[in-house]
This record gives sequence, structure tokens and C-alpha cells, in this order.
Amino acid sequence: MSAAAVAKETGARLAATQHLNATIHWSEGLLDAEAARVDAARSPGTLSAMPIAIKDNIVTVEQPTTCASRILEGYRSPYNATAVTRLRAAGAMIVAKTNMDEFAMGSSTEHSAFGRVKHPIDPERVPGGSSGGSAALVAAGVVPAALGSETGGSVRQPASFCGVVGMKPSYGRVSRYGLVAFGSSLDCISVLGRTVDDAGRVLSGMSGHDPLDATTLSRPPMAVPTPRADLEGLRIGLPREYYPADLHPGVAAGLRRTREAVEKLGGQVCEVSLPHSPYAVPTYYIVAPAEAAANLARYDGVRYGPRTVGPEGDIHALYQATRGEGFGAEVRRRILVGTYVLSAGYYEAYYRKAQRVRALIAEDFRKVFESGVDLLLTPTTPTPAFKAGEKTEDPVAMYLADIFVCAVSLAGLPAVSLPVGRSEGLPVGAQLIAPYFEDERLLAAAAAIERAVSADAEVRG
Amino acid sequence: MSIGRSEVLHVARLAELAVREEELDRLVSQLNRIVDYVTQLDQVPADRMAEPFLPGPAAAALREDVPDPVPLARAPAEFAPEFREGFFLVPRHGAMEE
Amino acid sequence: MSWETVIGLEVHVQLRTRTKMFCACRTSFGDPPNTNVCPVCLGLPGALPVPNAQAVLLGATAALALGCTVHHTSVFARKNYFYPDLPKGYQISQFDQPLATGGRVAFESPDRGRVQAGITRLHLEEDAGKLVHDRFPGKTAVDLNRAGVPLAEIVSEPDLRSPAEARAYLTTLRQILMYAGASECSMEQGSLRVDANISLRRPGEARLGTKTEVKNLNSFANVERALEAERGRQVAVLEGGGRVAQVTLLFHAGTGQVKQLRSKEESHDYRYFPDPDLPPLVLNDAWIAERRDALPELPEARRSRLEMALGIPAYDARVLTSEVPLADYFEAVVAAGVEPKTAANWVMSEVMTTFNETGGFPVPADRLAALVRLVRAGTLSHQAAKRVYSEMAESPDGDPAAVAERLGLVQVSDEGALGTWVDEVLAANPAEVARYQTGETKLMGFFVGQVMKRSQGKADPKGVQQVLRGRLEASQQA
Repeated sequence: MSAAAVAKETGARLAATQHLNATIHWSEGLLDAEAARVDAARSPGTLSAMPIAIKDNIVTVEQPTTCASRILEGYRSPYNATAVTRLRAAGAMIVAKTNMDEFAMGSSTEHSAFGRVKHPIDPERVPGGSSGGSAALVAAGVVPAALGSETGGSVRQPASFCGVVGMKPSYGRVSRYGLVAFGSSLDCISVLGRTVDDAGRVLSGMSGHDPLDATTLSRPPMAVPTPRADLEGLRIGLPREYYPADLHPGVAAGLRRTREAVEKLGGQVCEVSLPHSPYAVPTYYIVAPAEAAANLARYDGVRYGPRTVGPEGDIHALYQATRGEGFGAEVRRRILVGTYVLSAGYYEAYYRKAQRVRALIAEDFRKVFESGVDLLLTPTTPTPAFKAGEKTEDPVAMYLADIFVCAVSLAGLPAVSLPVGRSEGLPVGAQLIAPYFEDERLLAAAAAIERAVSADAEVRG
Repeated sequence: MSIGRSEVLHVARLAELAVREEELDRLVSQLNRIVDYVTQLDQVPADRMAEPFLPGPAAAALREDVPDPVPLARAPAEFAPEFREGFFLVPRHGAMEE
Repeated sequence: MSWETVIGLEVHVQLRTRTKMFCACRTSFGDPPNTNVCPVCLGLPGALPVPNAQAVLLGATAALALGCTVHHTSVFARKNYFYPDLPKGYQISQFDQPLATGGRVAFESPDRGRVQAGITRLHLEEDAGKLVHDRFPGKTAVDLNRAGVPLAEIVSEPDLRSPAEARAYLTTLRQILMYAGASECSMEQGSLRVDANISLRRPGEARLGTKTEVKNLNSFANVERALEAERGRQVAVLEGGGRVAQVTLLFHAGTGQVKQLRSKEESHDYRYFPDPDLPPLVLNDAWIAERRDALPELPEARRSRLEMALGIPAYDARVLTSEVPLADYFEAVVAAGVEPKTAANWVMSEVMTTFNETGGFPVPADRLAALVRLVRAGTLSHQAAKRVYSEMAESPDGDPAAVAERLGLVQVSDEGALGTWVDEVLAANPAEVARYQTGETKLMGFFVGQVMKRSQGKADPKGVQQVLRGRLEASQQA
């Protein structure tokens, strides 16, 4: 099939799913241009004509990049993210920029200057977030894969809510050059895919050292994983802190099914403990806002983006008005929290303490993996997709939607969320976690589970 | 731990964020809720504290000193809110002159 | 009652690199505004910093030259504040884990003789952009060409005891950094900037007084002037029974006055934290040792070597080592066979004049050596040699003998030719001849001078004297 034909079909599907509000920008003109570029290329590339949607916090020259924020209204990046350059070079077509929580801050894609994204199965519900637009597009069958970004679960959580595969690579595996920074020590460009194979091929195509990102490791790109036929010889740990008594029954049932499938595939299941994981969310909500407060200082109305001139007309009025009006409520809250925890007198008590607890959280994972456990299996989220508006009033309630995904982000580990069934029609996800830089082995094992567990079957608590 | 209105306003000034009077009370209560929540880290015993952790490479890889900037597909004039004769412009800023 | 002055200096020097600290943009000076910019130094969304290896090397070299300990691990941190010249809203600097700590600079204090000032720390950071206030009415213009240029900040201990001493420290510090090849140290081009902290206390008191910070110091002379002014201001405050407030002041070179900028109380809370975009800067011991071994000879060592090995006076050694190229040139002249003191005299007069004017050496060292040899051989008078030198400086092609020939400056020793000039002089000055012959023999100098003048400096003065003596004695006997 030619790229032109793929582009045409993709355009039709994008047009047919506008009610989801999953995209911020796409156009038939750009689709045609991408198709023409791919069709004209001498070699088809490993991602030959694959249509990929890109979260709107990954910069692209051809489309605007807004981070779903008014402060970047109309901003067009003068350079491409390394991930985008690599995917295009591998033959992929960039077909749309997707809606998201503003600056990736949120777990429901309700905090967007462009309005909330609707869950493809139930429009009353949220698709998860912050990569909700990317997850919804993949779930709706518009694209086989989309880029999202993770800071504290922003791909795995919406993948789980929407019933698709969400792969967060090891920190340092994929270049962050061109990913608009939120929490720099946590941010990872990540993949949402229809299948493990789609996610693996996209990850492989954009992974590897980037001389423009000092936090990428100098290791070769990840190979496309070869799916395992079974899980013989693998020990799969179930960390007890991730299976609380009050876990949603549908989620618990989905995980039970997954565990049975793992055992049927020859995997050996054992209980383990990650004692500091319960501190992951509070740790995360110190580290991420602190880094965000500094990362978002550059949106000051001086060099790019819209500018609001304050009543006094001086530079401080300009800063305060531009930032006060440009950022939405959740972003402003996090900037204030981040500024507070770094400010004089509080640094030791909050930021430094959080980085130390973070070390304990990472150390737990290292110890478990060193004890001979190959992978960890946990729920991705405590509940299936919740209703829009349900958690917008209480920021902490929203933060707790990420209770099972935050620790992995703090430890920089690779993890994938797989759809493992439905509870009352809503998808349930299971999370597989691997040791640092074992992304390829993680996906190889995930492919075996994917084959063995039906994503669409109803599970009962 | 309790953060008051003046502390929120101080932090907002540091962050150069305008905060409207009518949203202040709500912000104060939300920030208190968040800060109270993260304060549970105090439960982690100090004797268990490790050195701060950051993932990624243990040491920064350095760049050779060779001019090779990433080119700009569009010039600053095209994305700047106010730009004249090669300069970004802001309202007259006097602090360093006087 | 008297006051003791306590001064510490923070010096920012631009490291001599081709590209910026964290991106591959050029550091060239004087380009059109906002032309040496890229996503990183414009602070565009998504851009990331990558440290420049050469900046690290030069920073470490500077630190070692100042006797600092270069640390195995140092950490880049974000210093957060808003300013239109700061694209990211934070400056990448180093905070609690700097590149180097604990050095010293030995220098000649105008008040106390030979003293040492401690170096607290040397850390790496990026420069901010440039603000232009006078170009557009009501507007401040921002040029980010400088943004991201690599700097080393060198913080001294409060070991300096007078404004003049501060200046002497700066002169020595600059010399060391230039010898080490770390920086051009040009205040005109902004590659060396100074902020000064000054406080007063009673002599013998251990505790430091409240300090103020003086900024906008655009020359070493102005550092001294500004500190004098601020010391005067503080003395007046203290003796008027007041207390010195911790403030930042700007120096106005035109008026010679300092003016308060803002009080420290409302100054910034910089919210430093380690930059998560940059893993720690790790330098292994072998590399640090290598850098130490590769240090060029520093001014102190060179001065004493010139003094000891070449036997030139201490004063000459100090002047000749004030700048690397001057010392190099001097040594090249000596290497070309010129006796060191003679070489020193030439370099400190003729050569230094042109060097100070042009910054260069139009006459190559071996040509100068050849010229000096002509004087030694009696082919040129010293006077004539100076003329040949300036001619060579103007058109640096000729070899000195040829230039001397062309200018007709080759010394004449031929008795016949000398006799002609002598006879003309004696004939033209009968009164002086008479006085000489009545015993006023000190007139010999006058006659020699007249002959030299008549010969346009070409006559060999010894030969002239000989012929003069012969003629005068002969005429006396006659």
C-alpha cells in the first residue's frame, strides 16, 4: 500500500473521530505532503508508511506545537524533535498533533486549553492522561501508534484506560531533545500502540544515543523485539504494595487472569515487596513540580508565544500577566508548589528529601531484580477510566490515579501497560516492569502475554 | 504545615505569576492540601536516607568545541512577539541602569 | 580611629572557546544581534544543554593555574530568576559542588609587599545575553549572541586590604589566566568582569563588617576608584554613628560615585537545584594530573627564570613577563644570540612601544638580533640602529644591513672621510677651537656631537674622537 493511500485513509479516520477532540492539529495538506515525502524516499524504511500521531508537547517544524496551552498559542517550532526526525527517516508519516493535559500535567486530559478529550468507548469518561489524545486515537483505530510522553505514568495510565499498549522506555533510551520539558529527570517520550509489536517497532525506530541530549546513554538503539513464545524460565514478581485490598474488583480480576496466563506460559510467579513504593506519589509531587517550575520559567513572553502587557507596562507586569493568563489552573498550581518546595528554607525539607526517598524507591526495585526476579506484574491503575469532572476539584485525588505508575518513573525503569480485559465494558490494564535498559526483553515477554490474554473479554470481580 | 495568603503571594512573585484576588483563597487551600499530602515523606526515617538519585548516565558526555548549531527553520523574527532590527524588544527595563 | 578595609572579588572570565558552554553556537564578538543563536541558547521549548569539553578543559586549567583543587565530581545547578537577558528563566551554573576550590594568588601589594589572596572557588557557568537600553525609545532590546557563552567565576577570599591591593590582585590574576591560555581577559570585549565586595572593621577585629557589593566596574582603574569611593562612603556612615546596609551599588565612572541599586533583603531567592538535564561532570584523576602537567609556565616562574638564568634585573624581568607575547619575543631575541641585558633594553624600549601601539612585533626577533649584531660590530651606531629599527617596523621586508645601507646609515670609520667632516666642523667653530686650546678640553664632546650631526649619525664616534684629538693637538703645536 502506498503512503498516499495510507494517508488518505488516515485522513478519513481523523475526520470521522473529531468528536473525541483527540487532535490539536492535522490537515489533509500536511498528510499529503508526508505521504509524498515517504513515497519519494529511495528506501521504505523500517516503519514504511506507518502513520503516527504525535503528542503536542513534542516539537515539529511542520505543525504548531502548543502543549495544549494558551501560552504557546500559535507557536511553531523552528526545529524538529530528535524522535520525530528519526521516525520520519525510518519512513513514518507524522499525521497529527494530539490533545493532552496542558504541559503534560494531569491524568485525565481535562486540563487542556483546547477542551477535554473523550474516551472512545464512553464519552462521559476520560481517556486518562496526560497523553489522552494519543491514547484515544490509537484506541479508536485511527493510527496504529502514537507518541506520548511520560513524566509519572502519562502513557501507561491512558493506555490502560483506553485498552491499548503503552510503553515507557528506560530513562535515557530515547532522546528528550524536542520534548517540551516538564520534569526533566522523569520525562520520557513513550509509545502508545495497538499492539506490542507496533509499540516495539516505533520505540526501536527512535531509540539510541543523541549527542543533543546529555541524559541519553551511549548505547546502540534498541532492536525490534522478537516476541517470546512462552515465559519459561522467567520469574515474575507481584509486589504486594501494588495489590491493596481495596483494588477495584474489575482491575483485580484482570490481574488474576493475567497471572494465570503467565503461569500457563511457564512463568514462575512469586510475591515480592517494594516497601517504599507507597511514597512514590508524594515524592513525585515534589520532584516533578520543582523541576517544572524551572522548566516553565522560559515562557515569559519575551522571545516567543503570545504576550500580555500588564497595566503598569514594565517587565514584571509583562511576565506576570503573560504567565498568569497563559497558564491554566493546574499548571499554575504546580508552578507554585514547585517554587515553594525549592524556595529558601524549604529545599532540604522537600526537594532534597524527595530525591533521597526517590533513591530508596529505586533501590527497592534494584534489590528485587537482583534477587532473581526478571519482571514485575502490577495493575496499571487502581480503577478503570473515571468520569469527566470526577476528580477535577481535588488535585490530590487526581494524583492518586497514578499510584501504580509513579514509582517506575522515579526509578527510570522501562514498563509497559497491556490491555488484559474489560470491566463493565471499560478496559483494564496490567503493568509489566523490567530492570533498567531491559526494554527489549520486556517487550518480548509482553508479546507472549498479549497473545495469551484477550483484551476484549469481560472480566468479573 | 500551613501556607498562608502572604506566602502564596510571595511564591507567586518569585514565579512571576499574576494571582487574582478572587482565586487566592482557593489556591491557598489547594496548595495546603498538596503540601500536607507530600509532607507524608516525613514518615520515612532519616536513617534510611540515601544519596539523592537521578536516573540516566553517571557522568555527562561532553561535546567537542566545534561550531555546528542546530539550524533554525524559521528566524526569531517569525516567532518573537516583538522584534525589530535584529533585537527582541521588551518594555524599558531600568533596574540595571540606575 | 582607623578602619581596616576588607575586600573580596568575584571575577567572571570568558573561557577561550569557539562555541558556547552548552550549545554549538559561535562565541564570536561583535556579530549582528541574535545571529549566533540556536534552540538551546534561545531557550526554545524542548531544547537541552550539552557541555562543551573545551570549556571544561580551560576551566580546569585556570583552576590549576590558581592552585585550586579540581574536583573529581562537580554538579551543574539551575540558578532561577527572571530577567529579559536570561532566556530559560534560570542560569546554568555550579553551586554546592563547584569545579574547583581552595587556590591562591601571590602578588605584590602596593601597601604590604608580597602577599597572597585565597581563591575560594572557581566554577563554570553560562553568560546571559546583552540588553541595549538606548536604541529604541521606551524599549529594552535583547541580543542573545552572548547568552550561553562559557564563563569561569573566580571568587577570592576577603583577603584584600585596600582598593589599590584589589587592583594589584586583579592585574596578577589576569596575567595568570592569560598565561594559562584560559581567557583573553579583555574588559573592553566583556571577557573579564569584576564585582567587588567591601566591608570595614576595626583593626584587630576578627568579625567581618556588613559588606556591600559594587558592580559595573569596567576597568581595573575603575575597580580601584569605585572601591575608594565606597570605602569613603562606608567610613562616613560608620563615623556618623550609622550602620552599613547590605546593598548592591553601581559605579558611575563619569561622576566617580557609587549609587545604590537594591537592598539585599528584597534580592532574589535563587532556588538553586541540580540541573536534571545534566549528569554530573566527572573528571578522572589521570586527566586532572595530565592537565596539571600540561600547564604552561606561569608568570611567577617565568619571571624568576629570566632573572636567574639570564641574569637580567628583577625590574626588567617583571616588565618583560607582563604579557606572554612580550616575554616570548624577548626570549627569541636572546635565543638568536643577543646578550640578555642588551635584548632586554631593546625590548623594553623600541619593541615595547610598537607592541603597545599595535599589539604586534613588526620586526621579527632574528632581524632584531641581526640589527644588534651590526651595532656590536661597529657597523651601526646605536643612534642609527634605532632609525633602522623604525624603518624595519614600517616596511618589515628588509634585512637590517640592507636597510642601513639604503638609508646611508652604515657607520663611517674611514679616516679620510672623518677628516673631511672634522675639518669642516673645526673651520666652522673657531671660537670653540680657541677655547679648547686654552685648556677647555670638555669641549671635545661638543666637537664630536657636531661631527655626528654633520655626518647624519654615520660617523664612528670613536674614530671621530681620534681624528679630532689629532687635529686639535696638531694645530696647537703649529
